[in-house]
Amino acid sequence: MISEPIPTAQPARQMANRFDPYEDNGGTTMALAGEDFCIVAADTRQSDGYHINCRYAPKAHQLSDKTVIGTSGFYADGICLVKRIKQRMEWYYHQHDKVMSTPALAQLLSVMLYQKRFFPYYCFTILGGLDEEGKGCVFDYDSVGNVERVKYQAEGSGKELLQPFLDSQIGLKNRATDDVLDLTEEKAIKIVKDAFSSVTERDIHTGDCVEIYIIRKDGIECEKYPLKRD
Amino acid sequence: MINLDFLNPVEDNNGLETEVNKEYLENLNVPTFDIPLCNNPIEFLKHQTEAAEKCRLSIVHGTTTLAFKFKHGVIVCVDSRATAGSYIASQTVKKVIEINPYLLGTMAGGAADCSYWERELGRRCRLYELRNKERISVAAASKLLCNMVYSYKGMGLSMGTMICGWDKKGPGLYYVDNDGTRLEGDLFSVGSGSTFAYGILDSGFKYDMTPEEAYDLGQRAIYHATFRDAASGGIVSCYHVKQDGWTLISRTNVKDLHYKYAEQPKAPLV
Amino acid sequence: MATKTGFNFDNYQRNLFLEHGKENNMKLPKATKTGTTIVGLMFKDGIVLGADTRATEGPIVADKNCEKIHYIAPNMYCCGAGTAADTEMTTALISSNIELHRLNTGREARVVTAMTMLKQLLFKYQGHIGAALILGGVDCTGPHLYTIYPHGSTDKLPYVTMGSGSLAAMAVFESKYKKDLERQEAIDLVAEAIQAGIFNDMGSGSNVDVCVLTKGKVDYLRNYIKPNVRKEKEQVYKFNLGVTPVIKESIRNLVDVVEVNEMEIDQ
Repeated sequence: MISEPIPTAQPARQMANRFDPYEDNGGTTMALAGEDFCIVAADTRQSDGYHINCRYAPKAHQLSDKTVIGTSGFYADGICLVKRIKQRMEWYYHQHDKVMSTPALAQLLSVMLYQKRFFPYYCFTILGGLDEEGKGCVFDYDSVGNVERVKYQAEGSGKELLQPFLDSQIGLKNRATDDVLDLTEEKAIKIVKDAFSSVTERDIHTGDCVEIYIIRKDGIECEKYPLKRD
Repeated sequence: MINLDFLNPVEDNNGLETEVNKEYLENLNVPTFDIPLCNNPIEFLKHQTEAAEKCRLSIVHGTTTLAFKFKHGVIVCVDSRATAGSYIASQTVKKVIEINPYLLGTMAGGAADCSYWERELGRRCRLYELRNKERISVAAASKLLCNMVYSYKGMGLSMGTMICGWDKKGPGLYYVDNDGTRLEGDLFSVGSGSTFAYGILDSGFKYDMTPEEAYDLGQRAIYHATFRDAASGGIVSCYHVKQDGWTLISRTNVKDLHYKYAEQPKAPLV
Repeated sequence: MATKTGFNFDNYQRNLFLEHGKENNMKLPKATKTGTTIVGLMFKDGIVLGADTRATEGPIVADKNCEKIHYIAPNMYCCGAGTAADTEMTTALISSNIELHRLNTGREARVVTAMTMLKQLLFKYQGHIGAALILGGVDCTGPHLYTIYPHGSTDKLPYVTMGSGSLAAMAVFESKYKKDLERQEAIDLVAEAIQAGIFNDMGSGSNVDVCVLTKGKVDYLRNYIKPNVRKEKEQVYKFNLGVTPVIKESIRNLVDVVEVNEMEIDQ
């Protein structure tokens, strides 16, 4: 016999019928800076929940001969942001008769993201390229424009898997020995490929293909590397 | 009389509304922000920061920062970790914002909010200097920041900062946060690890310390906060504000401090 | 205290409080879901069951090669989708009960018996046991194929799919299924349906498992197709000796070695 009423689970939080402006389209991006080069890479899968919207939706975009941007999170916000940056660069070019440098672009991007502080772009951005001295540089952003210059960075759905790998292999973190990182371009590309094929193994939102942009002082090259499609 | 006209730039243009002047004045205006076009823009995205939300706007948080005045100026010490939920977003954040050679601001709360508004503060301080041919006082600078964020009260800004500097009155230290609170004081600590830092600071603070003792006290306080607060860690940065501006004293990994302090004998309980 | 069988509800109220209490907003840890594609179809001489081999925990792949076709009886197998633990424990329990049933009655259990046991169990728990199953087998009345939903409802159909990849797999079945397929045709169709799930549903992935049940014979084709073998890595990640610092060293003697004079023992 039941002497007291059995407690029932409370109904799920009352969901008002509200408009949700955001969607998570997944995807992983990363960038790393070398001495005289920079690599920006992003997978090309675009998904929603368990469904793949597109197997080739580029998340990395070339902005100039010296700069590439990678965005993940809400795809629509990402491409919107890229479009507006390109517009601002065009204006800058006509006003000053020169192409914006990567660090200048980095600061502009921060302000553009903060401009929408109260209705943010739901995207996680990485900017990679060469600075005025020709050195590789990477800038990492949060969704409202906090910016930090770093040596390497992973963002997006696979960042929790990727960043520790980069910390170990490029940051050489937590080593008692005096290992010296001799990061050549070839080695860096190998690390990027292995990083993405490993993330694809365990993150369901990452896969299909990775686009690797290699930024050198004499131009940008884009390499496509196929990933698992399951 | 201090010239504060620049706070209302439209009135000081002497009726000269040329195109160039207009554009120039627009640039001086308070920045504007895009907000959602709906009845209640503040409520519109509030749920988006909740932990359960699918597309969560995780804004970087978690910090220990401290600053105190003593005989030889102001000491500022901070950690360098940024967390978004349980994920460590960065171990190398610069939480001391160098507003100008005489002013420092610290960063706690939303990283973007702090760096954006303190950069804007730097711009305004420079304008003040150009207009008045003298440096702005710490009190005035902190009030500028306070007024700026106060006008966005309730909109979701997150900022807990200490403005440190040296002016005619000597060392200056003010606490300013997103509610619009502005306090003058001799010792502050802000952030999730602040309680631990206060414990060390209050027990070790003496007004007439040597600078070296002060650096050690500040570093110790941050180190002990990083030891107990998971949201603090990384590198301890230490700054000293003197009459002729601030200097960076040290950047030390907490791991090195840990083994350094482990070797030293523990202080006896009095 | 008397030992009770079945589920233990001791912490039910406490967990409810932790989840919904005024000051609390703890979340229950996530269970591993199979996030699956499972299928089954009838062909000329029996049943073919198929499954992918990915298990997920939210967006993370928990197991790249798990088994989702579970043993029920020598003539019966069952694919499971939903909460991994629930599908495994439910099929294991019914497997035991079917064996007891066989010993009691002295004859091979029928598929409909297993189906009834499963649906009664799942209905009793009102959907809280998150198991979505495809049960297939051949008994004295011929081949049978059932689907059982987490709330206890069942279907008996010639071709069925379940799990998050069910739509992708059903698209293949709807366009290509015919009555009285040959054995190899049936296996190929099942494999194609599973691969549709593997590639188009992110909850499904890795390999194809197939189980062919005919009168008196079962062929369990584990990893029948492996369409997702990982490419070789670009380089080897080996750490140099000594990268992990030794902070403290202590050696404990678990055995005391005592010097004994042999001559003394002999005496």
